[in-house]
Amino acid sequence: MGFGNLLKKELGQLLTRQAIFSMIFTMALFIMLGQVMGNTMGKLDELDKNDGTITLINLDTGDLSKKMLDDFRAEGTEVKLLSYSGNGDDYSSVLEENDLKSILIIPEGFSADAESGKSAKLKFVTKVTGTGLANMIDSGTDGGTPEMISDYLQKYYHDNFLDVTEEQIETYEAPSTVVQFTVANGRTAEIAPEMVSGMLMAVSVVMPMAIFFLLMMASQMIMTAISTEKIDKTLETLLSSPVSRIGVLVAKVVAAIVVALLNALTTMIGFAFYLNGMTGNKMVSMMNVGPASSEINEAINEAVTTNPVEALMQLGIGISGGQIFLVFLELFIGLAIGLCASLIIGAMATDIQSLSTLLMPVMILTMVPFFITMFMDINSMGIVPKMILYAIPFTHTYTALNNLIFQNHAAFIGGLVYQLVFLGATMYAAVKVFTTDLLFTMKLPEKQAAGKSGSLFGKGK
Amino acid sequence: MAVLSVNGLTKCYKKGTNAVENVSFEVNEGEIFALIGPNGAGKTTTIRMIATLLTPTQGDAVVNGHSIVKEPAKVRENITYLPDEAGAYKTMKGIDYLYFMAGLFSSDKAQIEKYVERAVNMCGLGDRLEEKINGYSRGMIRKLLLSRAVMTRPSLAILDEATSGLDVINALEIRKTIKKLSREEGMSFLLSSHNMLEIEYVSDRVGIISHGHLLEVGRIDEIKEHYNAANLEEVFEKVVNV
Repeated sequence: MGFGNLLKKELGQLLTRQAIFSMIFTMALFIMLGQVMGNTMGKLDELDKNDGTITLINLDTGDLSKKMLDDFRAEGTEVKLLSYSGNGDDYSSVLEENDLKSILIIPEGFSADAESGKSAKLKFVTKVTGTGLANMIDSGTDGGTPEMISDYLQKYYHDNFLDVTEEQIETYEAPSTVVQFTVANGRTAEIAPEMVSGMLMAVSVVMPMAIFFLLMMASQMIMTAISTEKIDKTLETLLSSPVSRIGVLVAKVVAAIVVALLNALTTMIGFAFYLNGMTGNKMVSMMNVGPASSEINEAINEAVTTNPVEALMQLGIGISGGQIFLVFLELFIGLAIGLCASLIIGAMATDIQSLSTLLMPVMILTMVPFFITMFMDINSMGIVPKMILYAIPFTHTYTALNNLIFQNHAAFIGGLVYQLVFLGATMYAAVKVFTTDLLFTMKLPEKQAAGKSGSLFGKGK
Repeated sequence: MAVLSVNGLTKCYKKGTNAVENVSFEVNEGEIFALIGPNGAGKTTTIRMIATLLTPTQGDAVVNGHSIVKEPAKVRENITYLPDEAGAYKTMKGIDYLYFMAGLFSSDKAQIEKYVERAVNMCGLGDRLEEKINGYSRGMIRKLLLSRAVMTRPSLAILDEATSGLDVINALEIRKTIKKLSREEGMSFLLSSHNMLEIEYVSDRVGIISHGHLLEVGRIDEIKEHYNAANLEEVFEKVVNV
C-alpha cells in the first residue's frame, strides 16, 4: 500500500501534460522524418531501376552511332531521340521543354573517334533543382546510359581492333570519355553534378544545423536568463536599482547572442570533425568542391576541362559577398525574432517546471523547419504545407541561402519582408513586456503549468 | 520631514478588482514605518509600486520630491528594495555580488569601494564572502542582501518581509541592524510583514492593511492605547474585525 502511494505520487509528478506532450511530439517528429526519408529512398530505388528507355540527342552524323542505337533498339531498349538546335553547350532549354532531369548527348565526331580507335566523347547533362537531400537525389544522373554505350564500344573495339597498340589498350579499357554538364538556374556549365551536390550538401545540411543550434541555444539562454531572475526575484532587485530596463534587456540579449555564437561555433567545429570521421574526409572535400566519385566516374573516365569554381559561378551557384551578407541578415533577423519571442515567453515562467513547458513551442518552431529544409526544398512542396512552413518565421532563415542560390528572388524578398514585420511585432511586444507591469504579472494559464493542475494525477504537492 | 509621501495609491490587476485602493501614508526621515497585514492584503503590491516595479492605476507616491509615476528613474536613485524571499546570483561570489550591485549606484571607483566596505562590515560574513553564493544558507543570503540594501545609505530602504524564513538568531540580528541604522544614521525604512510581534519591536509607526485598504495608521503605543490592546496582534484583530 505504502509503495503504491509513493509510486503514484512519483508518477504524478513526472507524468505532467508537458512530459506527455513532449513524448507525443518526439514520436510524431520521427514518424514525419521517417516518411520524408522513405520518400527519398523510394526515389533512389526508382532511379536504380532501368525501365528500358534511354533518352538522348544524337549530333553525330557518322554511321557507328546510328548502328549503335539500332542495335539497342533490337535488344529491346526504347531509344527516345530528341532534336537540338541550340548554341554551343547550352542544354537547359532541352531539359526544360522535355521535363527531363538528365540527358545524354552524342556529339559530332563520336563515330569518327571510335572508328579510328580513339576514346569516343560523350556529354551528359544533369539538372540540379534544389538543396534538400531529396532534391539532390532527384537531380541525380541516370548512370545506365553511358555504361551501355561504354560496353557497346568495348565490344566494338574487341571485334574491330585485333592488333592493338599500347595507346589502343588504354582506349579499350576506357572506350568513352564522358564530359559532364550541370544545368541550374537556366544556365549550363561544364561541371559534374556531384560537385554541385557536394557544395549544396554544405548548404542543405551544415548551414541549417548551424542555424538550428544558434536559434535553440540563444532562445534557451535568454529564456533561462529572464525566468531564473524572475523566479529567484533577483530581477526585482535589479530593476529597482538605478538602471534602465532597456539597458538590462539589451545586455541580456547581447550576452545571449555572444554565448550562442560561441556555442554554435564550437558545436559546428566538433560536428565537422564528426562528419569528417564518418565519411572518411569525403564530406569536407565535397564542401570544398573537390573531385567527387560516383559509379559513373568509376566506370568511365571523366574529362573536366573547366575550373570548378568558375563553373559554379557560371551556374550562378557560387556564393557572392552580397549573398553572404543577405544570409547573415536573415540569420540575424531570425535570431532577433527568437530572442524577442523567448524573452516574452520566459517572462511567463513562475517556477522551474513551467520553464521546460515554455521552451517547447520555441523548440518546435525551430526544429520543424530545420528537419524539413534538410531533406526537402520547401519551394517544391504543395501550396498548403509551403504556406504553413513559411508562416514559421525561422523557416525563412533556413531557406535564405537556397533561395539566393537558385534565384528564387520572390521567395527570398517575401521572406525577408515577412520576417521584418514579424520582428517589428515581437520586438514591440518584448519591449512592452519588459517596460510595463506585464514583466511581473504575466504567467502561464494554470491548466498549462506543468506539475500543477496539469498532472495526470490531480494537483501537485 | 517626509521622505516618502503616498497619496491615494490604487492598483487594479483585473477590471473591477482593486488589489490596493486609495492608500495614503507618509514615512518621515529616520523613521521605521511598517505595513502590516495578512497574506494577500496588498502590502507587496503597495511596496512594488513605490519601488517603481509596478505602475499605479491611480494616485502617486513621492520619494524625496520625485514622483514614482513621472520620475521613476530619479526615485530608484533614492531607494533600495529587498523583495520577500529574494535570491542573489548564485554563480557569483558574495563579494562580487556586492561590487556588482554597488556598480549600479555609482560609477566612481572610490565610492564603490566605500559602499562595499560598508556592506562587508555590516553583513558579518567574513571570509565566506569569497565563496560562491550557491553555498550560502538562507540566513547568509538574507544578511548579504540586507547589507546590499543599506550599503548606499538610501533615503528610503524598502524591505519586504525582511526576516521571513529565518531562525530566531538571524531574525534578531537583522531587526537590530535595522533599528541601529535608523537611530544612528537616520535612515528611513518602509517594512512590510505579517509578523506583528516583530513589527512591534522594530517599528516607530505602522499602517494596518487588509483587502487592499489601509485601515489604520499611527504610532504603535498610540494605536494600542486607542484600541485598548496589549499588543499589535490584538490591535489588528480589532481593526479588521477578525
